[in-house]
Amino acid sequence: MPLEGLQDPLRFSRKAPPCAVVIYGANGDLTKRKLMPALYRLAFEGRLAPGFAVIGVSRTAMSDDDFRDRMKHSVKKYLEDSPFDENLWLSFAKGLTYIAGDVGQPSSYGELAKHLEGVAAERQTGGNVLFYLSTQPSQYAQIAEGLGSVDLNTPPEGNSDAWRRIVIEKPFGHDLKSAGELNTRLQAVFRESDIYRIDHYLGKETVQNIMAFRFGNGIFEPLWNRTYVDHVQITAAESIGVEGRGAYYQEAGALRDMIQNHLLQVMATVSMEPASSFTSDAVRDERAKLLRAIRIMRPDQVAANSVAGQYGPGRSGSEQVPGFRQETGVDPQSHTDTYAAVTFLVDNWRWSGVPFYIRTGKALPKRVTEIAIQFRTAPLAMFRKATAGAEALPNVLILRIQPEEGISLRFASKRPGSGMQIRPVSMDFNYGSSFGERSPSAYETLLLDAITGDATLYTRQDMVEASWTAVQPILDYWSTQKFDFPNYAAGSWGPAASDEMLARWGHEWRRP
Amino acid sequence: MSCEVIKPDRILQQLAELWKDTARPEADADGDGLLRACAMTLVSFVDDEEDAMALGETLALLMREHPSRSIVVRLREGEDFLESRVFAQCWKPFGHRQQICCEQVEISATMNHLQDVAAVVGPLAVPDLPRLILLRSARIVRAGALRKILRLGDKIIVDSSLPGAPGFGELGALLESGHIAGDLAWTRITELRALIAQVIGDRVPKNIIIEYEGREAGAETRYLEAWLASGLPDTVVRLKGSGGQGTGVPAVVRVDDEITICLTPECAEIEIGQLKQHAPLAVGSADELLNAELKIVVHDEIFERVLNRITA
Repeated sequence: MPLEGLQDPLRFSRKAPPCAVVIYGANGDLTKRKLMPALYRLAFEGRLAPGFAVIGVSRTAMSDDDFRDRMKHSVKKYLEDSPFDENLWLSFAKGLTYIAGDVGQPSSYGELAKHLEGVAAERQTGGNVLFYLSTQPSQYAQIAEGLGSVDLNTPPEGNSDAWRRIVIEKPFGHDLKSAGELNTRLQAVFRESDIYRIDHYLGKETVQNIMAFRFGNGIFEPLWNRTYVDHVQITAAESIGVEGRGAYYQEAGALRDMIQNHLLQVMATVSMEPASSFTSDAVRDERAKLLRAIRIMRPDQVAANSVAGQYGPGRSGSEQVPGFRQETGVDPQSHTDTYAAVTFLVDNWRWSGVPFYIRTGKALPKRVTEIAIQFRTAPLAMFRKATAGAEALPNVLILRIQPEEGISLRFASKRPGSGMQIRPVSMDFNYGSSFGERSPSAYETLLLDAITGDATLYTRQDMVEASWTAVQPILDYWSTQKFDFPNYAAGSWGPAASDEMLARWGHEWRRP
Repeated sequence: MSCEVIKPDRILQQLAELWKDTARPEADADGDGLLRACAMTLVSFVDDEEDAMALGETLALLMREHPSRSIVVRLREGEDFLESRVFAQCWKPFGHRQQICCEQVEISATMNHLQDVAAVVGPLAVPDLPRLILLRSARIVRAGALRKILRLGDKIIVDSSLPGAPGFGELGALLESGHIAGDLAWTRITELRALIAQVIGDRVPKNIIIEYEGREAGAETRYLEAWLASGLPDTVVRLKGSGGQGTGVPAVVRVDDEITICLTPECAEIEIGQLKQHAPLAVGSADELLNAELKIVVHDEIFERVLNRITA
């Protein structure tokens, strides 16, 4: 711990303590595209300790220098909004080393332990190690057990201040049962507090801003309940198809890939109760409570409250695009959902009776992620005539997560002139224009959090299991259905059944 | 020489007209509209000799992170003079279609109108948002007129390392009277302080030597010494000048015999035993320093503690 007397929380940015980061899957796409650029950027900002080290592990045989060259190439290629500093790279690269090893080989863990001892002495990492598993999910438990077999899960003897943490990427299991099994095996080796389940959505600035918006302002929270909120829509739309990830996607589907993790976490952030403090467990307790309060659907309710879709050929902008079944690596008879929409209800006092509509899909008309909170209309339609007899447009608060991060509020305003003509107008807050400073990438935020031991934005075991519990009945029901896929054209807003699902509640999807 | 009567209401009216003009379809060629942004009032007092273009560039760069109603007061010697003009500062962020615009007011005045200027600037401040004063006028300091402008802002920002700027004594007096003050000489060493704190970690050093260039320690060096001494009460902190010519800024920091941090304008070379590491340090251009200082509109306890130690 740095000395208290030299701290200046008002001015200093958060710094990482000395440590080694061991990346399993160091030759993989995530390491190249996200992890290494994020670590380099942290170094660029002076947030890493001088004795920082990265140890890459994967099956490919290569020397330390080969690894450094590959990583340099990746950092140059994928570094966003940042210059590449050759001098800094030379210094950063001194801390990069590589071990070729098969996770199935017990001896590889012993080699890693020995290597780490050398790194700790040479780079003065203080014995702190963050294990980052960027591998096939099926290898998570095996790697954790391998690390445990050579005591890499606990601090070295005589250095009880050191820490050992493990980061895993989603998916955390492929259903409730397998998620439970994975948790059991991980927790047999690492303490739950040392297991960091990464959900990069929670690392996005705008998702974090939801909490600042809700709990840092006094005027919204009183309206944030069933009395004033009519319904909530959460949309995560991708304009592209699976684009080469067909084989992976075929096994996952939209419900598993997006709703079970990212979007339920977003929903929990939007609807959770205020935490007693902004500490990791206090915030996660509230998120977990909300996830547990989601009403579990009976099989007969699933059909009315969920919609599966798969895109067929269509047009994306001016381009003709193939259907999912025509994508490379996809079974021509695939029953995978590339679109999923679900109506969730939350059984607590705040949200009872308020539908939360969540939709996500590939090959939709545009890339957009947003949360729209639609408020109830004014109790008296005083200006009905002024709106040409139409129902008064309700107020909508839109929290835009990407691409134009910001917040908008739609409200009614009188048009200039002698008559009383009412027109909806939008009051916009744009993140980019109000804060010119660069936003860190989600991986920069989350890596720094893991290194500094802040798990607030990471998912806990009970949250994972609660979200699987919420989607499991849908997965079970869908697995028994033979869908008439494809049921929406690429470039459209999804299947008609999705509109019908909302129409049953008297609502309709926004067109973002 | 002109000496117009300046009324805040008229300037506010001009600002309102400016927005209407700027948003006219013919002025907004792309038709994507303008976003009017304002997060504070920034009042800059400068001497007329100061390079108007350099100041304009600094303020324009600041607008991206701190959109404000910017009021620049240019002070000059000589005959009776007072005039004002308003204009908009607009930019289009990369990849965005919409222009973002901030409003600027420029007032030129001779020193005998300082009181009038204060009476005009006060009502021009945007209600409910922070008001910050950037003091770069040596004229005001020489005339002992600092107090006349203090009530215009919630915080006053100076750069004590510049010739003619308020010194530690004047800054101390500001703090004593309850004002919030910021000194860019202090801001300039933020990155260095953070680096030293990180490198020292949990060690409690016995000795720290700060070496600087020149005969006399500059404001930054003195701040660094006072910060280390107040944060590490059991450590002996010493200054060592190189003699001869020099700006007095810190050049090397030695922590016991264990750590050496060599400073260049843009980076630091750190040696901890056998380990050598290169660390980038922010250059600290005028806009970057101001940018950092404008983010803080509360009393900065650590800065105040350090300044009190220097002035005690």
